[in-house]
Amino acid sequence: MSDAAFHALAEPNRRAILRVVRDRPRSVNEIAERFEITQQAVSQHLKVLKQAGLVDVRRDGQRRLYVVRPEGLAGVRDFLAEFWPASLERLKQAVEQAVEQAVEQDDAG
Amino acid sequence: MPAEPVVATVHIEASPDRVYEYFTRPDAIVRWMGEYAELEPVPGGQFTVNIGGAPVRGRYLQLDPPRRLLISWGYAGSERLPPGTSTVEVRLTPEGTGTRVELEHRDLPAGERPGHDIGWRHYFGRLGVAVSTGDAGPDPGMDDPGTLTR
Repeated sequence: MSDAAFHALAEPNRRAILRVVRDRPRSVNEIAERFEITQQAVSQHLKVLKQAGLVDVRRDGQRRLYVVRPEGLAGVRDFLAEFWPASLERLKQAVEQAVEQAVEQDDAG
Repeated sequence: MPAEPVVATVHIEASPDRVYEYFTRPDAIVRWMGEYAELEPVPGGQFTVNIGGAPVRGRYLQLDPPRRLLISWGYAGSERLPPGTSTVEVRLTPEGTGTRVELEHRDLPAGERPGHDIGWRHYFGRLGVAVSTGDAGPDPGMDDPGTLTR
């Protein structure tokens, strides 16, 4: 773990931003609307995270999307320890939503 | 020395048959994990999922529908966790009117040096502040402000 990564993670907003881009890539706008800080401040935090190797930038047409960079995190295990419970929670939502819709369709038909 | 496995579990109000599909059908798996998937749910078949830009690559090692799957798991181009290095076991057990999903991700590499695997969670705590210098500013403590999604 580099000093830059420690430094980047020492700021609460940056840790929070990292959580937002953990599951899928997001634009600065998408990130900023979840916070009470300006888009400019979010951009500045993203720059620090990128320099620390904690996020990557991808291009999607005109948009720049930010995503977490698992390799930048020293503890792969600890990354997955957060990843799996969150993923299974989404699995639960996806399956149960689909079941509900199927029941509604049966009721309608 | 490998790290401790990661274990996670959840109860889902649906049959094991239905839940099983969410580990074997590309259109179903991307409902909860990743943006893009190519899956061949046969022994030795590919398990390809891009998750938040991270290219997860693996193979289905064992399948016992609808009760159990064993999948190899790694990241393409990763030195830390290349394809084939770790395995994910998923067990689906009937529970009441639904299914208990138990997941175990094992054979994970430990940190390269002592303290490395202190890891992610601790960076959210005081450690990051303690070792950093500069404009870290006041830290509220272990947790983030509550405005965020999880």
